[in-house]
Amino acid sequence: MEEGGLVRRCIEAAAESAKSVEKWRRQRRTLERLPTQLADALFRLLHHRRLLYPSLLEIFQYCLEEVDFHGENCIDAEWMAYLGGFRYLRALNLAGCRGINNSVLWSITGMVSLKDLDISRCSKITDAGIEHILSISNLERLCISETRVTSKGIIRLSSLVNLRSLDLGGLPVTDQAIDSLKVLVQLEYLDLWGSEITNEGSLLFTRFPRLAHLNIAWTEVNCLPNLPSLIHLNMSNCSIHSIFQGHGPVKPSLSELLVHGATFADVDQAFSYLNIDHLSVLDLSSSAISDFNFLVRMRSLERLDLSSSLMTDYLITPVASTAFKLRDLNLSNTKITTQSMCILAGKVPNLEKLSLSESMIDDTSLQYLTLMPSLRTIDLSKTGIQGCTYAEGDRLAKIWSLPVLQNLDSLEILNLEGTRVRDDSLHPLGLLKGLKHLYLKSDFLSDVSFHTMSSLPDLRVLGFQGAVLTNNGLLSFRPPERLQVLDLRGCWLLSKDGISSFCGAFPQIKVKHESVQMLHLDQSQKLGSSKLKPDLTQCEPLGGHHFTDERIKYSREELMELTSSPPSDVLAGSLSLLPVALKKADDRPEA
Amino acid sequence: MEEDTVKLISAEGFEFVIDKKAAMVSQTIRNMFTSPGNFSETRLGEVTFPEISTPILEKICQYFYWHLQFASGKESEFHIEPEITLELMMAANYLHT
Repeated sequence: MEEGGLVRRCIEAAAESAKSVEKWRRQRRTLERLPTQLADALFRLLHHRRLLYPSLLEIFQYCLEEVDFHGENCIDAEWMAYLGGFRYLRALNLAGCRGINNSVLWSITGMVSLKDLDISRCSKITDAGIEHILSISNLERLCISETRVTSKGIIRLSSLVNLRSLDLGGLPVTDQAIDSLKVLVQLEYLDLWGSEITNEGSLLFTRFPRLAHLNIAWTEVNCLPNLPSLIHLNMSNCSIHSIFQGHGPVKPSLSELLVHGATFADVDQAFSYLNIDHLSVLDLSSSAISDFNFLVRMRSLERLDLSSSLMTDYLITPVASTAFKLRDLNLSNTKITTQSMCILAGKVPNLEKLSLSESMIDDTSLQYLTLMPSLRTIDLSKTGIQGCTYAEGDRLAKIWSLPVLQNLDSLEILNLEGTRVRDDSLHPLGLLKGLKHLYLKSDFLSDVSFHTMSSLPDLRVLGFQGAVLTNNGLLSFRPPERLQVLDLRGCWLLSKDGISSFCGAFPQIKVKHESVQMLHLDQSQKLGSSKLKPDLTQCEPLGGHHFTDERIKYSREELMELTSSPPSDVLAGSLSLLPVALKKADDRPEA
Repeated sequence: MEEDTVKLISAEGFEFVIDKKAAMVSQTIRNMFTSPGNFSETRLGEVTFPEISTPILEKICQYFYWHLQFASGKESEFHIEPEITLELMMAANYLHT
């Protein structure tokens, strides 16, 4: 029996359309007795389906505790006037709402219930808006990052003495402003990225006895004083001389240190005051460190990000000696080669996630990966991986390199986007029965590889971008039973009809393709729902991927050949290329 | 009253006599009848809901039977009139249905 069957059906029915909303709305003016979790579920569904309008908010004024409108540009004075009447509202998220300005905030002045307010990225908010916020005396969390508030406004925040979390990212906070905030002794979280504080101002952080999270990325701070309560520190893009130098026997037992893109005068000196016993997350990406010997002492590390750093095969030894507890290692966009994999192999028994994207590794690395027994996620995108090597002296004797991955029992996610893997070398992947996510992006791949994918029983997400796939190939594809997402973006030979008939045959699979959005638009036009905004939430945002019809690259004859080539022929051709052992695995009945 | 039926009484005093099996679709009613202890509900086989109006209770009884018959399959949809969705939601929430 399913839990809450009728309740769920009621919420679904109540939020079915604007018409049904009108009908139940006429029955009552407020939902005073509606339990919070029901009101919340109904509100979220109405919001998701774009059925909310300002005066409908009145209905929820006694039963909602949280409202999340982030990114909704339509929120204006009228909406806010109703929100101001919410008796029990505890958290209000208006981040990135372009309609929010100083005068609109007047509606929520003096709300005693409100403890959590997020107006980050509301670019019309200035110091005058802060005056309204000061009347919300119980605020515990306030986010005003990337607004137009100045140091003057920030100084005024000192009257909100209950604040525990304050996000002032991207604001021109001066040392003087921090000095006036030192009365906020409850502060546990302080975000000051991109502010104007200096070393002098950073000395004032010692006045916050509970401060656990501090972000001073992109600031002029070089020397951070000893802050015993700190757990999480972000000094990315700073020029660091020393961290936690100073008085006091107790050094903070930091668990996360992010110094992405930071420069160091002397890295050993800078880290010498750190208590690294509990340091589990270290981000050194894009930093200019060329000596990694300090890593040897950091034996608790679980996540290490060295992407875009100066790491090379010669510098990797300290990583190998500290890597016993490592679960996540990012070496993408570095100069490391197979040699580094050889050094790391056998030293990382707990490593679950390894990113080697855009590194210099090649197919010979794969055999070393099999000596990392806990690996679940491997990112090999944009590397020289081909899926095969050649026996010495014989350019014709291919040795398939991907089959060794079947020794990794836990492997679930594999990214081969932008590699030079072809249909035939991809075929052995069919042996990786535990694979759940597979990402491919290459114009070397064609319909043949669909057959490989069909034999992966546990596959949930399949990325197959930019491949030369045809409608015929797609329609003869038997997707694995559990497949949920099929990403076909950039497969320019697929037509709208091909995609829509595949979607029709397998409605449980979410297909991403440039024509999917067009399909949805077509449907909404057919339904004549011009009054409602088109519901595009089902479609994936296509981001910056612009679809260009690459047919112009080909002559008419070549095109005809591509679209009409039956996939079975191509498969038969490639089967003859397979070694005997693999042919056997493929001897399953054809559809 | 027969052993395998129960009587559900609405706020206005209307009585609905339904199969015990159907009533058990509600987690709340199930708990009343299966929990140890000598509740008057268990003894008399009837429950009064002073908070649930007659039309809503009628709809709930319909749902009990619909659930027994169809919930596992997809061949039929349980229709809910928009006018009563909120009342029904609150009652269903109370009854853990």
